[in-house]
Parts: sequence; C-alpha cells; structure tokens
Amino acid sequence: MKITKAVITAAGKDQHHLPLQTLIDRDGKEKSVLQILVEETISGGIEEICVVVQPGDEASYSAIIGDHAGRLNFVVQSQPLGYGHAIYCAKDFTQDDPFLHLVGDHLYLSRQKKSCSQQLIEVAEAEDCAVSSVQATRENLLSYFGAIGGRRIHGRQDLYRIETVVEKPTPTDAEQRLIIPGLRAGYYLCFFGMHVLTPTVMEILGEQIEKAAASRRITLSDALDELAEREQYLALGKSDLRYDIGVKYGLLTAQVALALNGKDRDEVLEKLLELLYVRELGTSSRETE
Amino acid sequence: MSELTKIITAKDPVLRNSSLDAFCRTAPLEELMAECESLELFRHKNDNLYERVRALFFLYAIHRFHLPNKQGIKSEGSIPFHGYINLLKRRFEEAIEIFLDESRATGHSDALSSALAAAYHRLGFQTLADQVRRSVRSVRGNQWMFRIGHPADHPLRVRKELLSVKSKDYLFPILREATPVRMDLSHSGWSDIFFLGMDFPEGARVLNVSIDLSVRQTNEYSNPRPPVETYFRAIDQPVLRLVSIDLETSAEITSIAEVFDFAKDYLGLLKAAVIASGIVPPGMEGAEQPLSMLLERLVKPGHGIEIVSRVNGIPKGSRLAVSTTLLASLIAVCMRATGQTVALTGQLREDERRLVAARAILGEWLAGSGGGWQDSGGIWPGIKLIQGVEARPDDPEYGVSTGRLLPAHYIMTQKDVTSQVRQHLQDSLVLVHGGMAQDVGPILEMVTEKYLLRSEQEWQGRQRAIQLFDKIVGHLKRGSIRDIGNCTHQNFDGPIQTIIPWASNLFTETIIERVRKEFANDFWGFWMLGGMSGGGMGFIFDPKRKTVAQDRLQSIMRETKNQLQKAIPFAIEPVVYDFAINENGSIAELLEGDRALMPPGYYTLSIPDLLRLERRKLARMQRTELDHFATACRNRPELAGIIQVLFDRLLPGSAQESTDKKSLDELLQDYGFDRIQHEQIKADLRTGRIGLAQNRLPVSSKIQDVSSDDIVNATTGLSERHRNIGMEALAQGAVAVVSLAGGAGSRWTKGAGVVKALNPFCRLGGRHRTFIETHLAKSRRISRLCGTPLPHIITTSYLTHQPIETYLQRVDNYGYEGPLLLSPGRFVGLRLIPMTRDLQFAWEEMPQQLLDEQAQKVLESLHAALLDWARKMGEGGDYTDNVPLQCLHPVGHWYELPNLFVNGILKRLLEERPRLKYLMLHNIDTLGTDVDPALLGYHIDQGACVTTEVITRRIEDRGGGLARIDGQIRLIEGLALPREEIEFNLSYYNTSTTWIDIDQLLNVFDLNRTQLNDKAKVLDSIRNLSSRMPTYITLKDVKKRWGKGQEDVFPVTQFEKLWGDMTALPEIKSSFVVVPRQRGQQLKEPAQLDGWLRDGSAAYVDSICEW
Repeated sequence: MKITKAVITAAGKDQHHLPLQTLIDRDGKEKSVLQILVEETISGGIEEICVVVQPGDEASYSAIIGDHAGRLNFVVQSQPLGYGHAIYCAKDFTQDDPFLHLVGDHLYLSRQKKSCSQQLIEVAEAEDCAVSSVQATRENLLSYFGAIGGRRIHGRQDLYRIETVVEKPTPTDAEQRLIIPGLRAGYYLCFFGMHVLTPTVMEILGEQIEKAAASRRITLSDALDELAEREQYLALGKSDLRYDIGVKYGLLTAQVALALNGKDRDEVLEKLLELLYVRELGTSSRETE
Repeated sequence: MSELTKIITAKDPVLRNSSLDAFCRTAPLEELMAECESLELFRHKNDNLYERVRALFFLYAIHRFHLPNKQGIKSEGSIPFHGYINLLKRRFEEAIEIFLDESRATGHSDALSSALAAAYHRLGFQTLADQVRRSVRSVRGNQWMFRIGHPADHPLRVRKELLSVKSKDYLFPILREATPVRMDLSHSGWSDIFFLGMDFPEGARVLNVSIDLSVRQTNEYSNPRPPVETYFRAIDQPVLRLVSIDLETSAEITSIAEVFDFAKDYLGLLKAAVIASGIVPPGMEGAEQPLSMLLERLVKPGHGIEIVSRVNGIPKGSRLAVSTTLLASLIAVCMRATGQTVALTGQLREDERRLVAARAILGEWLAGSGGGWQDSGGIWPGIKLIQGVEARPDDPEYGVSTGRLLPAHYIMTQKDVTSQVRQHLQDSLVLVHGGMAQDVGPILEMVTEKYLLRSEQEWQGRQRAIQLFDKIVGHLKRGSIRDIGNCTHQNFDGPIQTIIPWASNLFTETIIERVRKEFANDFWGFWMLGGMSGGGMGFIFDPKRKTVAQDRLQSIMRETKNQLQKAIPFAIEPVVYDFAINENGSIAELLEGDRALMPPGYYTLSIPDLLRLERRKLARMQRTELDHFATACRNRPELAGIIQVLFDRLLPGSAQESTDKKSLDELLQDYGFDRIQHEQIKADLRTGRIGLAQNRLPVSSKIQDVSSDDIVNATTGLSERHRNIGMEALAQGAVAVVSLAGGAGSRWTKGAGVVKALNPFCRLGGRHRTFIETHLAKSRRISRLCGTPLPHIITTSYLTHQPIETYLQRVDNYGYEGPLLLSPGRFVGLRLIPMTRDLQFAWEEMPQQLLDEQAQKVLESLHAALLDWARKMGEGGDYTDNVPLQCLHPVGHWYELPNLFVNGILKRLLEERPRLKYLMLHNIDTLGTDVDPALLGYHIDQGACVTTEVITRRIEDRGGGLARIDGQIRLIEGLALPREEIEFNLSYYNTSTTWIDIDQLLNVFDLNRTQLNDKAKVLDSIRNLSSRMPTYITLKDVKKRWGKGQEDVFPVTQFEKLWGDMTALPEIKSSFVVVPRQRGQQLKEPAQLDGWLRDGSAAYVDSICEW
C-alpha cells in the first residue's frame, strides 16, 4: 500500500477561518495554518492534497497557499451534514486509494525527527491497513474526542488493534468498553486528528449517508467503528504534540509551542521571561526601590 | 487441624454445609475453647473473604449460644472498659484482642463470651459490608466517579436535546422517566441478599415481576400506572433544585457539601441519586468549589438542573422496593440526561439497566440504607428470572467471592409465560398493604447469619425453598396459578418461617385465617412479599372471586388492624391495590414545547412560594412557566381541579382538630399532671440545675463492686426450707404479682406509641402470645401449684390503660382464674423540647456507638438538623407539636407503687385479702420471672423490706447495677454513674424484679394499712418521699407521623424517678439475690428475639407457663 493522497477538512461551521490564520513556523517563517498542514503532509510523502471547504471559501484558501498551489484541490461541502460527510465529499479525489486525513483546526508537533504524518504513513504502509494516530487522554477530556477500544499488538509498545470506536464517550461508557490494558486508570486512547484511511471508509460513509435521515449528521467515528468490524484497523500510540487552534487561546498556545520547538527558541524564551519578570517580579522590585 | 476449620475450607459440599450447632452440642467446654483459638488463628491467616467471614460467624455463635451453656464456664467476670469503647468505635480487631487478653489473664467467663460474641458478630457484618462496597466501586462504569475530584474535571455534559429552546417563550424540555416497582413472585428465602448471592450464587434466585399500581377505592388513580416518576430538566439558575412531590419538600442547593448532607432534609434519596449518577460524583465529596462551577460545565454558564421525584400514592413499607425503584429511576433519568445511555428516551439497554442497578446499590450505600439485589428489578420489563452468577476471571469479584455482586436477569418471553397466563395471574392475585411498616434490616442480618452458620433446620428450610422456587417457575410456565398459590403458601408456612420465625405475625395470621374461612377453596394461597409480612402481601384467589376478595380483604384488614392497633405498630390504614404487569420496564419520554410541564403536584408545591415573590424577581423561565401553567390549567382537563387545590394551599383553613379525641390540656388534667412541679423542672432545666450531666453522682463518690459475701447466689437453687416457706405463703394468699405495663416500651416499638405489654411478640405454646398473656400463664401455673389463685396486678398509664383494659376484655382476661386488676397511673409529665446542651452531652460526651462510615455521616448530619430543630422550637419549652398522647410521658417506675396507694387498688386488695403481705414487682419485659416459691421464701426469711433480684452482667446489660457506694450496698442507675467505666466493674445487673414487704414499705412512706383510706395523707406522704428521690433527666425518641406512612423521630426531654433508688434509703432493709440469667434477663428490643429463641430462653419461659 502506497499513500500519496491527503484530505484536510476545513468545512466546519466554526473552524473554516482557522486554516487562514498566520503563524511563525519552526523555521522562523510566516505561514498560514493551512500551509503548515500541507507541509506536514508533504513531509510524509504526500503528492496530492484535497481540502474540503465551505462554499465560497476556495478563493481565500487559494490565496494563502503559496508554493504548493499545484498540489491542492478544493472540494466544497455544500451542506453541513457532519464530519463524516465532509470526508465523503472527497470521494472523487481519493477514488480507490488509501489516503492520509488531517483536520484543519489542529497543528501537529513531532518530538522525533520524523514528522507525525511520516510516522503514521510508514506504519500504514508496513501493516497494509487503516491506521489512526491516538493519544492517551484523561477521562475528563473525553467529551472532546473520538476514543477507541482494543488490544495492544503483541510485541509492539505503540500499536493497537482497534475493536471499537466511540465518538465523545462518557467515562461511564468508556470504562465499560474502552479500557486498554497497560494504560493508567482514567486514561483512554483518543484520536489525535490524523488518520490513514482505506477506500472501505468511503464505502461505509456512503452507506451511512444513504441510510441516514436527511438531517442526521454523519460522524467519522461511526464509520470507523464499522471499519473495525470489516477489516484490520490499527491505532498508533503517539507521544507527539497536537494543538487544537479552535479553542480559547488555542492559536496562541500553538504559536508558543511552535516557537519553543523552532530556531527562534532562545529569543522567544527570553521574551517570555521578560514578560514574566515585568509582570511578577518587576513590580515588586520597583516597589522596594 | 480443627474440626471447624475443616468444615469452613471443605471442598465437599456435604462437609462444607455441616451445621455448627450440631458440632457444638456435643463438644465439651475445653474442646470448644480450643476450636475458638484455632478459628481465631485461621481467620487471621486466611485470605479468602468468605472463609474469614464464616470463621467470624462461627466464633460469634460459639460465644453467644454454646459456651455459656457449657459446664464449667465462670458466670461472673469483668469486661474491660477500653475493649467496650473500641467496640463502640468500630475498632473491632482491637476490641477482640483486649477481650482475649483478659480471658487469658483472668480465665474465660460468660461475660467475656458476651463481649466477644458482640465483637465477632459486628466484625463479620462489617467485613461483608466492606466487600459489597468495594465490589460496587469496582463495577466498570462506576470507577471513574471516585476519581473525579474537581468540578473543572467533570467529564459529563447535559445532552443538547435538553437545552434546545425554540424561542424565548419556550421552556426547556423535560425528561420524564416512569418506572414500575417490582414484586417477588417466589419469595426465595431472602436469597437476594448480597452476601448470599456472592457466596452461594446457585442458590440465589428470584422471580421478579415489574408492576404498575393504583390504590383501590380512591378516585385519584383509576388505572394502574408506573408508581414511580422522575423528572429532569435544565433551569436558568445556577442551582441544583431537588423536589420531592410526595414528601412535599424542595431545596435549592448551591454547595457541593450540601449535596452530601443526606439527613438535612427529606431529600436524601434524591441527593444519593445525584451522586450515584455521576452528576456530582462521589469523588467530589469535600470539594470546596461552588456548585455553580460544576453546573456551568455540566449545563452551561448561569444554568442549573432541576430533579423532581414523585411516587404515585404508594405508602412506605409496601415491600415492593419503592425506595430502591425511586433511586434507580432517578439515576436512570440523570444518566440519560448526561449522555450516559445511548437513547435519551424509550427503554434502556440491558447493559444500561445493569449499570443503573449497580449505581442504585451505590446510592443506597451512600444514603445509609440497603436492600437486596432484586430491588431495582422494576427497571427491567415484565417477568424476570434473576439469578446469582459465579464470578469469572474478568470479573472484579473473581478470587474474592464465589459469586458476582450483580446477578443475571433473564427476561421471560411470551413463549416462556404466555399473555393468557400473565392475565390469569393478574386476575387471581390481590395485592395489599396491611399497614405495618417495620424495619427489615435485622431480619436480613439474621438471614445472612443463619446461612453462614448452616444451622440445620434453617439450611434444610433453604433447600426446601429452592425446590419450591423450581416448582413455582414450572407452574408459571404451565400457567397453573392455583398451584403457584399453593407453593407460595407452603413457602410461607414452611421455609420462610423456619428460617426467620419473625417473618410472620399475629396480624398476618389472623387475616389469612379469616380469608381461608370465608373463601375456602377459592383462596389459593398466601404469598409474602419482601422482608416480612404485615405490609405488602399477596393473596391468590380463584379469578371469579377476585373483586369480592378485594372488597373483603379491605374490610378484614381494617377490622383486624382495629383490634390490634394498640398492640402492633401500624404506619397507615391498610389498602388494596389494583395492579398490572408492566412490560416496558423503566421508560423515558421527552416533554417539549407546551407539554414541557411538571406534574400538577409540583405546581401546588412551588407556585405558592413563587407568587409571594414580585414578578420581576423571578427567573425568566419561572415567569414563562407560570404563563404556560396558567394556560394549561384552562385548557387541559386533567388540571381541572388544580386551581382549587392551589387556592387551599395559598389560603389554608384552620386545621381540623378531631373532636372525638381529647386535647392535650384535658389529658393532662385527667392523668394527674402536676403543673407546679413541671414549671419547677422546666426552670431548673433551663438554668442548668438539672440535665443529663447533673444526673450523675459526685465524682468523689466511692463506688465499688459488691463481694460474693454481700449477696446470696440462687443460680443453682435455694434450699428446700425456703421453698416450703414460700409455698405456704402462696397457699395462704400472702402474695400478689405486680407487672409494670405503664411504660411505652419505646425501644421495642421505636417510639411508635403502641403498648408493649400487648405486643404478640413470639409464638409460644403454638400461638403468638403477648407479654401480658405470658406473665398470666406463669401466674396460672403458680396458682395451680399452690392451690390458691394468685392476684395479678397490671400497672397502666395514660398510654396503656384503655388499650390494655379493652384488650383484656376482648380476650376475656386470657381465662385467668385469679383476680386480675389494673392499676391506672396517677402521675404524668409533659415532655419538653431538649436543651441543645443535653443533646450535645448525649451525642458528644457519652460513649457513642460509631456507625458504619456512611451511616455515621448521615447520623451526624441528622444530629445537626435536630440541634437546629431544638433551637428553633425553643429549648426547654413544652413539647406540644405532636398528637397529644405523644406529648405526655410516664414519670418513672418509682411512682408505680404510690399509684397503687392513690388509685385504691392496694386498699381494695388488702380489704379483700387481709393475709396479703408481699408483692412481687417486675418489668413487663422480664419474661423469665415468676413467683418462684423458693425466692419468696428467701425474701420472707430475710425479713427485708425489699429483696432485689440481680444477674451476672453481660456486655449488653447496660444501665447501672449493684454497687457498694460510700459503704452502702444499693442499686445504682447507669444515669447516675459519674464515669461510664464504673459500670464495667460492677458484676451484677439489676433485673428490676423486686420482692416487697407491704407493711414495711407503707412504714417507709409513713403510712399503715388503715391510713390508705385517707387520700390526703397518702398524697402528702408520697410527695414527702418523692422529694427525697433523685430526679433524672432523660432523652427519649418520639415518633411523629405524617404523609403516607412517613415518620420523623425527635429526641425529647422528660424526667423520671426510679424504683432502684429506694435501696439507697437508710431506713429500708434491702437484700439482693443473684438469679439465673434466663429468669432475670429482659427483652428490650425485637432484635433480641432471635437470640432469645435460639439460646433456649424461649423454651425456658414456655416451661414455666401454663397456657
């Protein structure tokens, strides 16, 4: 299995402006979030990228993409029928190929030399199946994520066979269905926002859209739960960092994280310390003068 | 290896199920002591929970029932006080160690056995309760709730559907859960007790039916409906509002601490549900953050939730597990609302029902109550076979107990039990509530204990119950309801009463007898529901007679209750239900738009308060709701009468006092209330001159135990000479018996205000007997023995006179041949609101029984509420906020003999029987006492004014004893001891049985036989002597009944003067004699009955009676 395509979703009601935000990347250059995400996919060997957008957003996205414009395709999700439906909109783009999927409101920061997408794609190609990146997450955050239940693969510290996928479970449900041996009590494997998906996922999404009532929103988690029934589906445990830029101070946190992991680390640290000094110590030192 | 540890660890079921009693009967003292040592070692070394627990119960039973009867055991011995204190503080292991050390140091005694028995018994139950608690916590789906400690970590969110409003005039939708209650069609020998199911899963089986109910002959509910309804909605105020419609209580909670304060109000069950459902998870107990912080996360900023409960007219004690069902229903609705179930509405999934059941157990533990594992059966639909399940490797119970905490539910299909059979069952069964509402807790403990001991008869009873269960299931599948009736009746007559004789009572048996007579072959059988009979019960009839049977049962129960209501505690008038099998189980519905209204009772409760506020002060939603409700009142026919109800609530008429009952003032006048003395006591109490702390003798008093030379030991019998003297006096008619029956017996009936003397407490000589009948039967035997009828006087009081008189007339004095006289009390007191000083002294200064962790929290919260109550009501004021009879109090048994002088009974007796010289005075609960000729002879021979019988002390004998105080041998009340530990040095306990020389006593009062005619002189001399007697201030629990069988218990202050203090008067010649325990022990609480029956005491009493 060779993965050369990626789908980035950016059509959510409150998130469609997020990929347009500008940040200073680790290399010290000013980039849009979308650019950073595109570079993340390219680092994993992706050649073609499809961005799912709301109607009317294509132009503003095209304007910020810079050098990679040639790799990008835009697909419009004409009605807000949910996350699963957004991915399904890229069906003509992915055709019968497996593809990397990222959400447009997250930034990923690898702790290793290899990027997050590169690590994931390598596992998917080696195992020849769908793989989702997951991260151990405390139970009080379960209401933000999809979570998986399954078993660790013998001999691998970071790889799990997924048996169940539940979207935003309550801890009550999680404790009954999603306990993973080896994880600390109260921790579950939740999606990291990055997946390698097979064509079967598109097939399942198609079936679900057909079956669902007109107004029902289609979730990806339901389709992935079904995927686990039909074929081998793995999870790759990550200790890397991911930042949700859609939450309060999310963009700021992501920026600080990028800066502290990049070439301007010392400069930024110095500025942060200065801020702290003036805020906390500076005041008191003036008072004593 | 010891024989008993072999039994405990045996793999072979025949050996494992061997009875302890069988082994102990033949084993001599030394062997039993050696076995105790082995068991003690075994339980410390063993890891298996149930083996340890069984060893504890073996040790308890050996010390309680077997060692005391063995030849060679010392009857006297002291119990180390610090061991007792450890026992009170629930430090059982330390207490046991102290008692065992004492036994090794000073030799084993009956007294130490009693202390060890108490400690082993309670440690056994503590171990079992801890295990259930651990198991509930370890159920998957519950664990997280114990980890979440900060509101910011709260992982739950109220579902969006409950927060969607279409416009600003709309109300938040309401989620309504309707839940049937459960009835147990089999009564399976209480096999749903957790401990039993976890040790003997194969024997833990019940047939559990979900039912809808309505109370017959009321217009309120025409058709059976789910008896329990619970409601959940979001509100636009950052509070947790809890409302109980049936208890007419609501609260707006703003702090996390208050959610955990269970006894503050009547909303303990709702609070337990809020916690057990994870809304305020148990891990948050003690969190300081405001509740609004949690609600902001759970709902949204500025918002909160409202939870409402409603039980549709089903009174307490229905034996239909109403409170557990209510808890389960509340938990279900809260879980649905917070996304912990897949579906918001409709039925629950099987895994969800199981979790609700597990959380209901958790909730019961939190609120300090408890039931069986089938009690939340109402959340399942239809007819279920529920059975214990063996623990498997992936269960948390595996390796700890044989069975799992939660059983498996098999819902019987239409193929198993057809619709016709279901209908046939409904057409045959008459469900009733007899009106009794008793605490079944002690019964469930007895069942556990007897199971663990495998007592022969009880164990055979259980096997028989298991066979009957199979038969009932078979008959149900075949559709033979008549055979089911036959089996349930056999079960009641046989196994149930073999295991627990106290499951039946005179009330139930009278009803069954009358039904059988009236309906003959059309009555197919009786069926006991739940823990014990008298409350919820079933009668199975030929369907063609069902309607008649319902009518007749109503009358029969009412008539029987009227006959027995002063003898047995009833909480409510008996009712007959209509019922239907509920095939849905717990089901939820979302009420939206115009339908988003609470049930009518909610508004009659809440609107009066809202109307008192200015409209601008109401929250937006409250204003909208008032508008919606007003519209609904005009348009919806089911709300037609509500305006009138609201009007009555807003402008309540004057309370209708019943005219046929006397007012408090009239009663006080009738019963000899001394207003001057009362005001003096009140003033003294308020100024602190008298009080609990002032009851005590000065600390400088020298209080020592008596030596064996100071008393005569009659435990092995007195001389033939004494017997002859006594027989002669009896033959001459020189003796009369005085049974004290004026007291309320508040420990017996927990303050219910019934007459203990008339309580048919136990089956003796083949029938249920009252205390009075038992005492008369002993006097009858003595009368026949000596050939002269023995006069028997029963003292009565304002509380007991009328009922005893009527009862004795009805039973024709039980055919007693000798004179039977009632001596009505002539002194009465008025209860007072307690001083908080005294409450605090009682709860904080005196050694207190520490309860199980959660129960203790509930108790402490209750104490805080009661202190508040006393302050609000006015400390030291007259207690008048109850039915008049509950406001009066008897003034202590010192007055019983003066009563005889004042009411003319003694005068009359002496005139009729000039040879009468002696009285034997005894308490109504000293069942083993009789006019024993030898003891009488001893008293005559001594020439004493009073001879008091004492017994050697056991740990349960609290309340003073015989002592040498500053050189004088006398009785001392527990209230008067300057330090608690002194009591533990006193070897002898007062039985309250006293032999009196009439003339010497009159002399002490400065009276003689002829002066009894002079009323003024009599009253004067009584007043003079009474002023020399100490006045004790005591606290008594008084019940106040309200609503549908609800009861509150309040501590009130009263005073008393006690007979034992007569022995302190220097002019009285007193002597003391030690009698056998079986003669001198007293039955104070129903919980003692089982031990009393098992240790041979009942048989002893039977042997000295002629019925």
